[in-house]
Amino acid sequence: MIVGSGAAGGTLAAHLAHAGADVAVVEGGPRINTRTDFNTHALPHHFPNRHIPTMKPGKPGFDSERSRGIGGKTLTWNAVAWRYSQRDFKGKAFEGAGEDWPIDYKDIEPYYTAIEREVGVCGNRDGLPDLPDGDFLPPVPMKCTDMTIKKAAEKLGVRVIHVRKATLSRPQGGRPACHFCGNCMAGCDVVAKYNSADVHLAPAMRTGRLTMLPNSIVREVVVNAENRVTGVRYLDHDTLKEGEAQGRVVVVSCACVQSVALLMMSRSSRYPTGLGNSSGQLGKHFIPHFTNGVQCFLTDYIGRPVTNDEGFLDHAYIPSFMHDRKRDYARSFGVQFNYQNRRSVGWARGVPGFGKDFKKAVIDRYPAFVTMSPYGEMIPNPKSFIDLDWKTKDSFGLPRARRNVHYSDNDWKIFHDMTRWVTEIVKTAGAEILATGEAPRTNHELGGARMGNDPKSSVVNGWCQSHDVKNLFVVDGSVFPSASEKNPTHTIMALAARTADYISTQLKKGDV
Amino acid sequence: MARHKDRREALHIIGAIGSTCAFPFSSDQLFAQHQHPAGTPAPAAAPAAPVSFNAAEFAILSRMADLIIPATDSPGALAAGVPAYIDLVAQRNSEAKRLCVAGTAWLDRQSKKKHGKSFLDLAEAEQVDLLTPLCREADQQRETPPGSELKKSRRPALPVAFFRTVKSLTSDGFFTSQAGLVDTLRYPGNSVHAAFPECIHEH
Repeated sequence: MIVGSGAAGGTLAAHLAHAGADVAVVEGGPRINTRTDFNTHALPHHFPNRHIPTMKPGKPGFDSERSRGIGGKTLTWNAVAWRYSQRDFKGKAFEGAGEDWPIDYKDIEPYYTAIEREVGVCGNRDGLPDLPDGDFLPPVPMKCTDMTIKKAAEKLGVRVIHVRKATLSRPQGGRPACHFCGNCMAGCDVVAKYNSADVHLAPAMRTGRLTMLPNSIVREVVVNAENRVTGVRYLDHDTLKEGEAQGRVVVVSCACVQSVALLMMSRSSRYPTGLGNSSGQLGKHFIPHFTNGVQCFLTDYIGRPVTNDEGFLDHAYIPSFMHDRKRDYARSFGVQFNYQNRRSVGWARGVPGFGKDFKKAVIDRYPAFVTMSPYGEMIPNPKSFIDLDWKTKDSFGLPRARRNVHYSDNDWKIFHDMTRWVTEIVKTAGAEILATGEAPRTNHELGGARMGNDPKSSVVNGWCQSHDVKNLFVVDGSVFPSASEKNPTHTIMALAARTADYISTQLKKGDV
Repeated sequence: MARHKDRREALHIIGAIGSTCAFPFSSDQLFAQHQHPAGTPAPAAAPAAPVSFNAAEFAILSRMADLIIPATDSPGALAAGVPAYIDLVAQRNSEAKRLCVAGTAWLDRQSKKKHGKSFLDLAEAEQVDLLTPLCREADQQRETPPGSELKKSRRPALPVAFFRTVKSLTSDGFFTSQAGLVDTLRYPGNSVHAAFPECIHEH
């Protein structure tokens, strides 16, 4: 029994079903037809308020922060797919800050490869020690503007590489190659971009061993007197009618904060503060990535004709380069850039002046606009945690999960340094800076149910298995003990594949 | 046009695809390449009478939108329906509405004080003269470095906040419209490419 159907739940369900297990996936949202249900190709003026809703009229799902719907956040993700490196897994050993994972790169390496083959990851083999290569489809060419930034970065000794994405650069497994319409995050309607519903769950349905329970919002994982979980209690999304489903093993995979919240809601006399929380660590060590934005215009492109460089959003990346440089903080940052979509022109209001000159200034700068978004690694601290607000209920009567984020001195140092570096790079590229963010914003929620070898300081073990309850597993970003600066989804999928192998072996042995 | 030397090196493809796929698709799963349909027609024009503003306020806001993004060799804010967009936003954003109501009244008072007539009766050059200092101050505040004393200590006065709001809404409304995004900026996306066009510039 798997709660959630995104990157983790979808991967787990497919791997378990193909391995011969009977699987049920309980998902809080509806089935979504990726071909027809998203507003993939809409333009803002199709709507009076100029806001493009995610779903077409009358199509349910997804306009909530919880991204409920079969496929979860993979339906609207940007598909960036990095492997973490040994340094990411052992940051404490390398630098003395944060927490080590109980697993090594070599433990997860075969699963990264398996995922790359299944989902199709395009990218270049760059030979970087901190960003391991994989089994890639051909990379997609960089944009012209990327080449300008690359040249500038290289002057400063900073390397720019092709992005790696779970988006097909050539057809595979019945999916076409990407056709570069630029609307990846509005929901790819040809599944050139990976989503778990079409790539993992739909094929797994044909094994006959997978049952989907959509529109079922799990509110409790049930534990019995023998300290085994027996299944879940859920509410029907539309009628709020109570339902129950049983399973020999329960996997919680409903996205970092929601997974932690579900365990906290699952209170019992044995676990008064949340299921599997004998350590008291549940909700702690919340370590989302923090980011900043620098918006600029590359002067080389001001006044030039507009070219179609929508592509599949960002085509290039600046991998972490500070690990080998002198600095006054631990850990590092990487830079995503140039992933703005040209149907969004919100920056125009910040261009000075009004009248004909203002209009011309915007038209001239339209082909030159670039956003730089560095992502930093947060070190766990006691003031960053997830908890439940039992007094505030959502529309299903469930307590709201609160994200408490506090930036430590180290986080601020990374924030300022990464902002300074991207500013320096675009200035070297000859850019007019339009705006620079003043404070960190979070993205990529991680931590809250971290894995570790010590049952006193972690919630799950290296197999994503609860230290307290043998047949309970948690698989998603919540188990990350440290965050790296890299987008986490590839690692979430690889962990899911590895946990599926483990569960399947344990089921056969009768050990769970 | 020469291609940069590094380009070929950067594109040298070493990545290899695994020969087996764990979860092969059957033919019914095939997602064929597709052509993107032409955009759906724009919604019916908004009713002529504004909801958030009286006729006098709406006329001043419309004139300001026209001055901020005039028609040139491409359409301007009026052809793009910006005034109706401002009216719609003000229905949901009480602060924007408050600034627009108080701001138009202030602008008209200012106009009468300086020129003895309503803003709408002024010559274009006189209208521009009234708005220019507001725009300049709004731009200066935007350019103030983050965290500086100026930014902390000063909340923009009503006229500046009013101008900034009308300019922002005009910009948003225009550059999200067919007239602005497609006819003026020539938005190039949302189309099908067999391959991503490689850069052919000399870098």
